[in-house]
Amino acid sequence: MTPATAPPAAAPGIQRRSGSAGRARLFVGRFLSRSDGRYGLLILAFFAVLALFPDLLVGKLETATTATGQSLQPPGGGYLFGTDELGRDILNLTVHGARISMAIGLMATVITVVLGALVGIVAGYVGGPTDTVLMRVSDFFLVLPTIVLAIILAPIILDIVGADAELFGIRATMIVIIVVIGLTSWATTARVIRSQVLSVKMRMFVDRARVVGSGPGRIMRRHVLPNVVNLIVAQAVLTFATAVFTETTLAFIGLGDPFAPSWGQILNSAQGAGAPGLGAWWYIAPPAICVVLVVLAFTLVGNALDDILNPRSGARR
Amino acid sequence: MTVDLAIRGRRQWPMPKQADPAAPLLRVEDLSVRFRMPNGSVKAVDGVSFGLDDGEALGIAGESGCGKTTTALSLVKLLPANGYIKGGRVELFGIDLVPKTELQIARYRWREISIVFQGAMNALNPVQRIGDQIAEPIEIRLGQPRESSRKRAGELLELVGIPRERVASYPHELSGGMRQRAMIAMALACDPAIVIGDEPTTALDVMVQAQILQLLERLRRDLGLSLILITHDLSVIAETCDRVMIMYAGRVAEEGQVRRVFSAPRHPYTQKLLSSFPNVRTDRRTLEVIPGMPPDLRNPPPGCRFAPRCPSAMPVCSEVVPPEVRFADGVRVACHLYPTSDVTSDPPGARPAAPTAAGEPAP
Amino acid sequence: MTVIAEPGIPEPGIPEPESPPVAPGRELLRLENLQVHFPIRGGVMDMITRHPRGYVRAVDGIDLTINQGEILGLVGESGSGKTTTGRVVVKLTRQTGGRVVFDGQDVSDLWGTGKLRAYRRRVQLIFQDPYETLNPKHTIAEFVREPLEVNGIGTSRQDREQRILAALETAGLRPAADFAARFPHELSGGQRQRVVIAGALVMDPDLVVADEPVSMLDVSIRTELLRLMLDLRRERGLTYLFITHDLSVAWVLADRIAVMYLGRIMEIGPAERVIRMPRNPYTQALVSVSPSPDPPEPGERAARTILVGETPDAAHVPPGCRFHPRCPLVFDRCRVDEPPLFDVGGGQQAACWLAEDGPGAQLGNARRFDAPEG
Repeated sequence: MTPATAPPAAAPGIQRRSGSAGRARLFVGRFLSRSDGRYGLLILAFFAVLALFPDLLVGKLETATTATGQSLQPPGGGYLFGTDELGRDILNLTVHGARISMAIGLMATVITVVLGALVGIVAGYVGGPTDTVLMRVSDFFLVLPTIVLAIILAPIILDIVGADAELFGIRATMIVIIVVIGLTSWATTARVIRSQVLSVKMRMFVDRARVVGSGPGRIMRRHVLPNVVNLIVAQAVLTFATAVFTETTLAFIGLGDPFAPSWGQILNSAQGAGAPGLGAWWYIAPPAICVVLVVLAFTLVGNALDDILNPRSGARR
Repeated sequence: MTVDLAIRGRRQWPMPKQADPAAPLLRVEDLSVRFRMPNGSVKAVDGVSFGLDDGEALGIAGESGCGKTTTALSLVKLLPANGYIKGGRVELFGIDLVPKTELQIARYRWREISIVFQGAMNALNPVQRIGDQIAEPIEIRLGQPRESSRKRAGELLELVGIPRERVASYPHELSGGMRQRAMIAMALACDPAIVIGDEPTTALDVMVQAQILQLLERLRRDLGLSLILITHDLSVIAETCDRVMIMYAGRVAEEGQVRRVFSAPRHPYTQKLLSSFPNVRTDRRTLEVIPGMPPDLRNPPPGCRFAPRCPSAMPVCSEVVPPEVRFADGVRVACHLYPTSDVTSDPPGARPAAPTAAGEPAP
Repeated sequence: MTVIAEPGIPEPGIPEPESPPVAPGRELLRLENLQVHFPIRGGVMDMITRHPRGYVRAVDGIDLTINQGEILGLVGESGSGKTTTGRVVVKLTRQTGGRVVFDGQDVSDLWGTGKLRAYRRRVQLIFQDPYETLNPKHTIAEFVREPLEVNGIGTSRQDREQRILAALETAGLRPAADFAARFPHELSGGQRQRVVIAGALVMDPDLVVADEPVSMLDVSIRTELLRLMLDLRRERGLTYLFITHDLSVAWVLADRIAVMYLGRIMEIGPAERVIRMPRNPYTQALVSVSPSPDPPEPGERAARTILVGETPDAAHVPPGCRFHPRCPLVFDRCRVDEPPLFDVGGGQQAACWLAEDGPGAQLGNARRFDAPEG
C-alpha cells in the first residue's frame, strides 16, 4: 500500500490555524484592519448601546404627561438637545428612537433576507421555468416604488386588521411599514443571491454531490447555502441600512406610529410643530443626524463584510 | 562564456548605455530572494547562480515551490509587494540590475528582457484588439509613432504564425494556441535580448504545445533569441533547451547541458525527477515515487534541503550545505555524494556511474 | 537508448514495479453508439421556432467496452469529447442517443427511478481538480460521509464513521481521524486528491471514472497517486475508465487505450499496440509529439508529425473522416466517407481508410507530410 504522505504537521503551507476558532480570529483581524470596518463597527456599537439600554441612559420614554420642560426650549439648562413642543427632552426621545427605528429595521430586514435568499437560491439552482417565473415576479417587486406602495397599502391593511390591532405586541401601523419595506427590498437581495448561486452551481463540488446521489434539496441546503451565506450576511447589513432609512421616510410623511417615536416619527412631529419655520433646529438635527450615522455605519460594515467574505479564487499553491 | 557578435549585431535597437559590449549576456550570482509572510520570512531563493549566453536556451526546472518562477521574476524585479531581493547580482551585459530603482529598471523590462507569463491566455485584455496590445509596448517603451507600431505588430503576428489580418481580432476570437502565439509576439515587440517563458505550454494540448515549441525553436534560430524556459515539465526542456538547471527548495541541485544531465543525472533529486516522468518512447512502464514533501521554506532544514527525502542521504547531508562542484563536462552539482576534493574511492551510497573524472573545486 | 535511473532498485516501503496486468474479467461497461449533442440556442427566433441553430456534437457515436479489472485509457485533446463521455457514464450528463449497458443491464434511462441511486453506488467519479472538488466549508469527514448518508449506507453513525476512517486509510491518509477533522484548505493538492479518492471508494464501487485525476498535481505527487490507483485495482478489483489528454500517463497506467478526436474514437486497442504500432494517422501524430524527457536526436525532431492548425470546434465537424483536413495521409475517399473502426488484429481497431485492409499495411509505409513551420 502506498505510504501516506507526510503527516500534516511537517507539510508546508498547511495553516496551523485549523477549525472555526482560527478562522474567526483571522476574520476579526481582517475586519478591524480596515478603516471602514473599524469606524462602522464603532458607530454601530454606540447605537447598539443606545438601543439596548435607553432607560439606563436617559430614563423612561417621556410622554406628554411626564414632560418637564418648556415648549420648544433650545439646548441648554439641562436639556442637551432642547425640548419639543410638548416639553419633552429631545435627547430622551432620540435615544429611545434608536431602539424603535432599529427594531423596525431589523424585522424588515429579516423578512427581506429570508424571502430574498429563499427565492434567490431556488431560482438560481433549480433554473429553468421556475427561475424564469420567480425572476419575473421579482422584477415586478423590483420596480415598485416604496412610498407609493406604502401609501396604498397602509389604509388597506389597517382597514383589514383594524387600526389598533396588534401582532406579537407590534401595532398594525408598524406592521405595515415592516411589510412594505420587506416587499420592496427582497427582490434586490434575491437577484444578488441568485447570481452568486449561479456561479456556485458551476463549481465542481456541486457536481460531485450530484454524482454521489444528492438531490437538489440537499445540495441547496448543504452546498449552496453555506457558500452564499457570506453574501447573505453582507446583503442583510446593507438592507438594514436601507430599512432604517425607509422607515424614517415613511414615518416622516405620516405613515408611522405616533406612539412609537422612531426618528422618522420625531421628524414628523417636528414638521407638524412647525419646527423648521420656528428655527427649532434642535428638534430636527438630532434624529436626522442619527439616521445618517446609522445608515452610514451599516453601509461601511456591509461593504467591509462584502469585501472580506466574498469568495475569491482561493489560496492555490 | 561566449559573446556572439553576430547575434548582437542583429539588434534592432542600441544596447543600453551602461552596457559592456564584451560582457556575457546574463550572469546571475548568488541570488537570494525572500518573501515577508505574516508568520515568518520565506527563503524562496537561496544562493542561486547561473548564466545565459547569446542565442542559448536555458531551462529552469523544478516542482512548484522550488523558486524557479521567483528567480525569473527577480531578473526584472517583478516581485510581489512582499518579496525582495536579499542579495546577489543580476548582470545583464555587465550591468547589475539588482540595485536599480523602479524607474531605472523600466529601461530593461520588455526592451531587454521580456516575459511570457503562465496562463498567458488570460493575461490578454479582452476588450482590446490584439494588434493594439502588441503595438502598445512599441509605442510606449520605444517611443515609436503609432503607424509604424501597428505595422510592426502585424509583422510580429506573421512571425509567430498568425495571419496578419488577425491584427484586428479580439482575444476571444482566437484559439488557445493562437493566443499563446499572440503573447509571444507581444514579448518580442521590443526586440528583447532575452525572453523568459514561465510555463508557456502548460495549459495547452499536446499538439498545440508541439507547435509552440517548434515556433520557439524557429524564433531562436532566426532571431538569435536567448530563452529562459521555466517549467516543471522536463520533456519540454528536453525538447527545446541547451542547458537545464534543476532547482529544489530554492537552491540549485544540478545544472549543465541537457544531454549530459538527462542522460546521466548525478543529483539524486534529478534522478528521481526524471524517472517520475512517464515516457512513451521507452518500454519502461513503471514510475518512481519520491516520498515525502518539499520543505517549508520558512524553516528549511539545515544542510541539504533534499536530505529528508533522499535515498542516498548521509549524516553530513543534514548538517552541512553541499558545496557546488563543477565537473569536467561542465555540469554543476550540489550534493555531498560529489565532494570538492579529488576522489579516488566512491563515497558510500554513490552510484557506480559516478564520474571517474574527479570533481574540480568550484570556481 | 538513454539510461535513466534504474527503477528496479528495491527501496523500503516503495512497491515494486507494476506486475503484468490482471486478466480482465467479464464485460462491465458497454457504450453503444453513444451520442451527446448539445443544441446551440441563441436569439428570440430560436425560441419561437424551437429549432436550434446547430448542434455541438461533443460525442458523436462511440462504441466502447470495459472489462472488469481493466484500466481503459481514454485519450484525447480538448474538444475530443472524452470528458463528456465520462460524465455520461456517471450520469452527470444525459446522452442524446445510444445505449449504456452496465453489468449486463441497460442503464441508458434511469433518471427519476430508484435504480439511479443503485447505479451511482457502483459507478463513481474522481474529478480533475482537487482544489475545487471539496466544498471549502465542509470538513473532510463531511465530504466522505455524504455518499453514505445520501444512499443510506451504514447501519448507524458509528458504522458510518468507521467506513469513513477506513476509506481515508485506504487512500493513504494516516492518521485518518486527524485528517477527517480538517478542512480542505489545510491540505496539500496531493492530499486533497487522496480525499477525493477516499470519497469515491467509500461506496465500494465497481467502476471508477477518473477524469484527469493527476494533471493538476506536481509530477512527484502524481506518481504516488497513480500508484495508489494501481494498488486499489489490484487489491479491490476496481475497474477504471481513465480519461486524460496525456498519452504518456495512459501509457504507464492503461491496459487498453482509446484515442478520441472530435467526438469519435479514432483508434482503440491494447496500449502496446496503439502506442507502438498506431494505425490511425492522428494517433501516430499524437504519439510522435508526446513529450519525453529524452532530448531528441537530430533526426528525431524532423520525424515529429506536428499537425497544422487546431482541432475544429464540435459544432462544425468536417464531412467524411473528421480528421481529414489535418491528416498528413489524406486521400480522396477520406473527404467523403467516414471510416468505421476496422479490425487490424491483436485486439486493435482503427477508424481509418488506410486500415481497411486489416492487419497488414503499416502506417510507416505511407508518404510523410512535411508540416509548414510554426
